[in-house]
Formats: sequence, C-alpha cells, structure tokens
Amino acid sequence: MLLSRRARADEPGFHPFSLEVHGFVSQGFMLSSSNNYLTNSRRGSFELTEVGINFTKTITDDLSVGMQLFMRDLGPVGNYKPLFDWFYLDYHFRDWLGLRAGRTKLPFGLYNDQADIDAARVPVLLPQSVYPTTQRDYLLAQTGFELYGYQRLPLVGALDYRAYGGTIFIDQTTLASSAVTVKKIDVPYVVGGRLLWRAPTPLDGLSLGGSAQLLRIDLDLGLNPATSAALAQAGLVPATFDGNMKYRLPAFLWVGSLEYAAHDILLAAEYSRWHVGLDVRPPIAPDQHQTQTRWYVMGSYRAASWFSPGAYYSVLQNGVAGPNTRNKYQQDFAVTTRFDINQNWLVKLEGHYMRGTAALDPVLNSNIPLGDLSRVWAVFMAKTTAYF
Amino acid sequence: MPKHPRVPEALRRDAVRPIRRAVLACFVLALAAALPARAGDAPPEFRVIAHPLLPATSVERAFVADVFLKNVTRWRNDEAARPVDQRLDADVRRRFSDSVLRRSVAAVKTYWQQRIFSGRGVPPPELESDEAVVRYVEAHPGAIGYISGAAPHGKTKVLTVTP
Repeated sequence: MLLSRRARADEPGFHPFSLEVHGFVSQGFMLSSSNNYLTNSRRGSFELTEVGINFTKTITDDLSVGMQLFMRDLGPVGNYKPLFDWFYLDYHFRDWLGLRAGRTKLPFGLYNDQADIDAARVPVLLPQSVYPTTQRDYLLAQTGFELYGYQRLPLVGALDYRAYGGTIFIDQTTLASSAVTVKKIDVPYVVGGRLLWRAPTPLDGLSLGGSAQLLRIDLDLGLNPATSAALAQAGLVPATFDGNMKYRLPAFLWVGSLEYAAHDILLAAEYSRWHVGLDVRPPIAPDQHQTQTRWYVMGSYRAASWFSPGAYYSVLQNGVAGPNTRNKYQQDFAVTTRFDINQNWLVKLEGHYMRGTAALDPVLNSNIPLGDLSRVWAVFMAKTTAYF
Repeated sequence: MPKHPRVPEALRRDAVRPIRRAVLACFVLALAAALPARAGDAPPEFRVIAHPLLPATSVERAFVADVFLKNVTRWRNDEAARPVDQRLDADVRRRFSDSVLRRSVAAVKTYWQQRIFSGRGVPPPELESDEAVVRYVEAHPGAIGYISGAAPHGKTKVLTVTP
C-alpha cells in the first residue's frame, strides 16, 4: 500500500510497520572559467543529473529490508544507467549491535554515505578533497556485511560505530577507453569501520571520530595492438608482449572527523590521508606508492526556514617528490546558498574559487597535461532538487 | 539653625533593621505569590506522553532525543519504542525539537533526509494533531509522543523529562 506517510498515519488503526517510499530528482548546471571540471563545464553543462527512488519495509521491530534505485549523469560518469544504489536486510539484535547484509553505503568520514543526497546538505558539491564525486563508484558502497551499534555511556555521551567487510562492484564499462580494454575488474576485499563519539550535554551536537578503510582493486587490461607495439618499440615490454596487463591497486584510507551540529549551525572539519599503491605486470613502470593529504573545514547556518548560506575550504595535496607544481594540489574555496522553496523543493547556487589542477581529468581537458592547465580558475553551479 | 541631635550609631542600626526586614519579607512574599501563579496557571509548552502500560514515569532528555532520532529503539524494559512526531509546521514540534532534540525542525528534517536516502532508517510517522498523537500513543504499546501543554492527554501517561 503506497500511501503518503502523513495521510496514512492519521488513519485509525495506522500500523507502524508500513512500506516507506521516498525519492528525489535533481538537475544542475555548471560553468567554469577555464578548465573543464567534472563535465564539459567551460561551455556550460547540464550533465549534472541525479534520480533516485527507495523502498523501505519494516517487517518486525527488529527486521527491515530496503533498496534504492539510482541513476545519474555527471559528464562522462553515469550516463543515466540505473543501478541498485543500496539494498539490505537489517536485523537489530540490540541498540548496541545490529547486522546488515547486502549492498550498504560505506561509512567513511562524516558524509560519504550521504554523498548523493542533495537535500541533506547545504552545498551542491561536498568538499571534493575528501568526497570526490568522480570516485563515487569505488568509494560509496560495498556488498557484504556490516555490524553497527549505538551505545550511550553514563555521563560521557555515546558511541556510534560501524564495521564492514565485503567487496565493491565496479562497472567495468565505466573504465573503457580507446587504448585499453578492461577485461576484468575485481575488488577482492574492502574492510573498514567508523567510530564516532557523540558528546553529552552541554556539548550536544558535537561529534568526534575516525574512519579507516583497506581495499585492493585488481584490473586485467588489454592494450590495443598499436599501444602494445609502441611499448615494445620503447623497450618497456618484451617483443613477445601480448597486450595483457595486470594492475593491482592496494589502498589504505583514513579520516579524522569533527562536527558540531546543533540548532541551525553546522561546523565540520576533516583530515584524511590516502595511501595508494600501484603494482603493474609486466613492469612497464616501477611500482609506485603515493600518499595524498586531504582536508577541509566547512560551515553553514540556517538563517531562515528558506535560506541557508554556507562555505568551505577544501585542500587536496598529492605527496609526490619535487616542487609543489599546480598538478600536485587543488585548493577549493566555495561559497554556497540553499533556498528551500517549500518542504519538498530546493534551489542551490554555488561558486568555487580554485587553485591547482590535481583533481582534474585530463580526458575532459583534451588530454592536456594537468601541469599545463590554468592554475587559478572558477566554477559556478546551480542545482534544483525535488524530493519526498 | 538648630543642629539635629546626633543619633548614636547603634541606635540607628536598630531602627533600620526592622525596616530592612519588612522590605525583604514583602519582596519574598511577592515572589512566592508570583511563582506558584506562573507555574500553576500557565501550561507547559509541551508534554511528553507514553503508552499507559509503560512502567517509566520519568525519562532523561537525552534518552527521549535518542528515541526520536531512532538511535535507541527500545525502552529499558525491552519494549520496542515507537516514537510519533507532529507536522513539520506545528508549533509544538518546534518547541519539542528545540528543547529536547536540541536541533531546529529543519535540521531534524535534514537528519532524516540523510538517513532515508542512505538506507539507514525512516523517520517516525507524522500525525496531524495532538488528538491524533494521543490516539496513536494509546493504541500502540511502547509508543511515545508529545502534545501541546494544554491538550488533554487521554489515557496516556505523561512522562517527566529530566535534564
């Protein structure tokens, strides 16, 4: 029975175990002063679309199931292909211990599991240093198991914790290019967890914690004959090279989080380090290990029921040896406004002042090396979302 | 001009002391008269009500907040807790939200958007009126809601919320 929550709730005999249906539709626009960012933004792009609908059914006090269908288009990513964003069965043994099985959002930092939810935040884009939207397919959800719980502690607040293990489904068609065929992509494991301390009165709204994640991505690639021949000619591979390559990308990510959310104020800061390795066979390049430093500070304030301004400063720094050239960092100072037209419809306007090019996609920028793109640039974004 | 006779210091203190006492007594009496009148005549901004069979008579504010944000799903006697909200634009919801949840109604709405679309849960049902909340709480074991201070609470149990 798919009825609105309020109407049904007011009926005599309303039962708390009902089927909940919620959804959203978002459409945005991006324009950048120079470099193409996320989409072909220099000329102005409407390729900023998100649609989702979910169903949640509480079967008993302790057992519930749910699923969400989601599709999006963000430049070269998504292309309106619908997918199961999440689905789960959840058994709640006690408040301090619950079990989820299925595809669940990854609790990395404060907002990773909410990255798609435009209605749940003030900015259009979350700080991209810690929540890169182009890497959504790798970082947003895992398929496996999750243990979670919430435990109030006498006098000292409460602990909110989640631990998970499983794999990540990656659609290999999203990685195809003319030079390379992705033959197989596999995430043999992803494990991690998040622990948040919720402060007691009088510090209500203060949260402090950390998250960590360990994973490995295995790729079997096939190079096209021209690329294989070029590598052989350069002496990087044997003359008998058949074009098949194996990539192993082990990664360890962690983030420390601090948030104050009380009444109409939200203040947040997070600091993260991502250690990523690259192991290529045959070894056309030496094995690489890179550490990225990512952090941001963010604030927003609900000035009126219809108006919330906000701002953040977000920094990505690639830890590569040598001079700190523009392709090794990206600094993003964003100012944003959210207008709630009514209880189910909002409009956002946002401006970004950028320095550096580390998070740009060369493919979107005519394969120009990142070091040759504009160092200082700006982005304007507008987005509207309806949700229920 | 004749000089006023000089009053000894001790005598002056003795004369002033009863006046001070009288003023202080009047002030205390006035305050005492005013306070019960305010507490007795003006209803509280809201009352938290629960199913009549619930053994608890008082609950901590933080516990109530956890129940309404669904961080906690059971009463201490292991009965499932079933919170029920009021409309987003209801005055009583605004007062309850500010006072107990320590968040604005809009911030609570945002909290539930985060939970709904990340698959972490759904909000309590929203009912249209105090009367609907009373009916719901009466009918569902473990239910907890809030109503305007002056609204009749029917057969539900009014809980004392402690800081």
